[in-house]
Amino acid sequence: MTVDRRSVLRGLAAAALGGTVGCGRDPLARGRQSVSLWFSYGGKNREVLERMVARYNASQQAVYVQATFQGDYFEALAKLRTAIVAGAAPAMSHVVGEVVPYLHEAGVLEPLDGYPGASDLGLVRALAQEGTYTPMEPKPLVALPFNRSTPILYWNGSMLEKARLTVPDTWDALRDAAKALTNRSGDRVSTWGLECPISWWFWIALMGQAGGEVMRQDGYPLLGEEAGVDALQLWQRMVHEDRTMRPPPGRDYNAWQVTNQDFLAGRAAMIYTSTAFLRYLEDNATFPVRAAPLPGFRRRAVPTGGTFFVVMRGAPEGEKRAAWDFLRWMMLPDQTIEWATSTGYMPVATAAVTRLEREGFYVKSPNDRVAMDQLQHAMPWPWAASLFRVQRECVDPRLEEAVLARRDARELLAEARKQAIEDT
Amino acid sequence: MLRPRHRLHPYLFLAPTLAVLGLFFLFPLALAAYRSVFRWDLLTPPRYVGLAHYERLFASGEITRALGTTVSYAIVVVIGSMVLGLLLALAVNRTGRFVAFVRSCVFSAYVVSWVSVALLWMWMLDADAGLVGRACKAIGIGESGLLTSPETALYALAGVTVWKITGFSMVVFLAGLQDIPEELYEAASLDGAGPLSRFAHVTWPSLRPTTAFVGTTSLIVSFQAFDIVRVMTQGGPTHSTTVFVYAIYEHVFMNLRAGRASAMVVVFFGVLLLLTLIQLWAWRLGRKSG
Repeated sequence: MTVDRRSVLRGLAAAALGGTVGCGRDPLARGRQSVSLWFSYGGKNREVLERMVARYNASQQAVYVQATFQGDYFEALAKLRTAIVAGAAPAMSHVVGEVVPYLHEAGVLEPLDGYPGASDLGLVRALAQEGTYTPMEPKPLVALPFNRSTPILYWNGSMLEKARLTVPDTWDALRDAAKALTNRSGDRVSTWGLECPISWWFWIALMGQAGGEVMRQDGYPLLGEEAGVDALQLWQRMVHEDRTMRPPPGRDYNAWQVTNQDFLAGRAAMIYTSTAFLRYLEDNATFPVRAAPLPGFRRRAVPTGGTFFVVMRGAPEGEKRAAWDFLRWMMLPDQTIEWATSTGYMPVATAAVTRLEREGFYVKSPNDRVAMDQLQHAMPWPWAASLFRVQRECVDPRLEEAVLARRDARELLAEARKQAIEDT
Repeated sequence: MLRPRHRLHPYLFLAPTLAVLGLFFLFPLALAAYRSVFRWDLLTPPRYVGLAHYERLFASGEITRALGTTVSYAIVVVIGSMVLGLLLALAVNRTGRFVAFVRSCVFSAYVVSWVSVALLWMWMLDADAGLVGRACKAIGIGESGLLTSPETALYALAGVTVWKITGFSMVVFLAGLQDIPEELYEAASLDGAGPLSRFAHVTWPSLRPTTAFVGTTSLIVSFQAFDIVRVMTQGGPTHSTTVFVYAIYEHVFMNLRAGRASAMVVVFFGVLLLLTLIQLWAWRLGRKSG
């Protein structure tokens, strides 16, 4: 049998086309409105989300959600913005809270008020858009909370009990506990008392505890003024004077990852990180993991964190409606309970919180209660389009300089403020 | 001498290459130059700001800092990979199975992806758990971690780059060494030249073109550095590893400033153009003196 070149090429082209079209196509998607979701959860959180998406897809016949991992929050945001310009954005994604005002002001987010059931989602106020921000004037609903968190203090139960310490509830007590827990032999430290990513979110927490505000309500950047300096000086003292805190290497989520790894390996007795890692740390630790509210200074304060689901204004109408259907489903108590109890994030529906309390979940798992209790001290974010830039360009690089290069905290924050006023 | 039948024929032959270069190099460059005079975040309409981005980049010292970082990194990478590559090539310039095995081992790092190399070295450089990090700590270098300290992070990255590309330099130098006629060594030996003298008067002069090639390729690698910075340090700590390409990426993708990133692209192009002109000048000078 002879085969000519043309038929070989034709065959190859057909195979390639078939492969491209068929590749990754779930039979469940046939005949439904397909809608893309870009997400940034890795590890366990990713498994939970994918499980929930699969359950949603199996639970009805009208919508098919295709969830795609896009790297960490910042990578995903970069991709999302580029995709919006290229007209290739997904119908829905989730973005960090700090960037929601910017995306809204840029006009790329779909207002959700008009969608069915939008007015009675029954969300926990401090975690929903209305309680997370302090806009000068009412804003349309453009963001739905899902993975919301606060920073909490984790400690190694065995180490704290062995050292006969109580959980620190003030900055002074934190420094004392870190001194007692640091295990040093000459210049070699086998256990650091405290580890915390040198990052905006944790600095905001400390600045808030020192009594500061990040911005005035009109968007004028204060960066905590003297409170911001106090916050930075606490880190400087613990790193350079007490030598009880290890600044983790790397920036952004690399630093967060290193902090978790050091805690699990027993190289850090206490860490500041997100409640989002609760289940991960509990599942992987070889010692009892305990959680506590962040210690206070002049007051108790924590920022909320995590991300909000957003729907893209430029998406086709059918996809927007499908996205809403999925998001509405995700906001229901069953889903928020599944998400919260499987990960460590906070349940965003009030009915879910009530049910978890009634069923004794927080009694059985007191670590989960910490972030919820801290919500009473949550600081709302200013609704400012410049917030994200102030974080990325003005503050974050200077936190590193203050702690690693030990530059004057007051001078650095004055520089950051000047840049925030002139250049954002 | 071949003469074209029509004066347009040479240009027709060049057209495909010119089209590719124009589409993927000149057009984006012109677009970057155009965008550099606008304030633009990709999502909202661009706003004309004239040369404000250039003024700010120079006045804030960002250009000098990024250039200084890139040049420091390049110096370590170029010198390190050339010296190590040459030494290794001299050591393995012989036959035998073991030598062939060593050659393959050294070269294997070159074919591994940058991301894998970066992840491997992050672990190796860890001050507490990494083999190299702990060894350095023991002798008093990078006590808080080589990647954590602003003084050592850039040199740690440069060291990793040298480790990765030295295999390539070694292979090129090896080819250069094997091209040197054996008679030259025999003649030098007859004249009483010892090993050092043979290296200085036979090997090194014969390797000049090879050295120029290795230097140029490692310089290109240094100026293109991105992956290793992205994975290992993200430009930190305190901007100490923010090389030029990473600074551009950070502006456009992290800080939402496409206009300012475009201005950096234009400046970077100017720097590369200048380097190319210097290299061309040095090459012509070498040819004349030759």
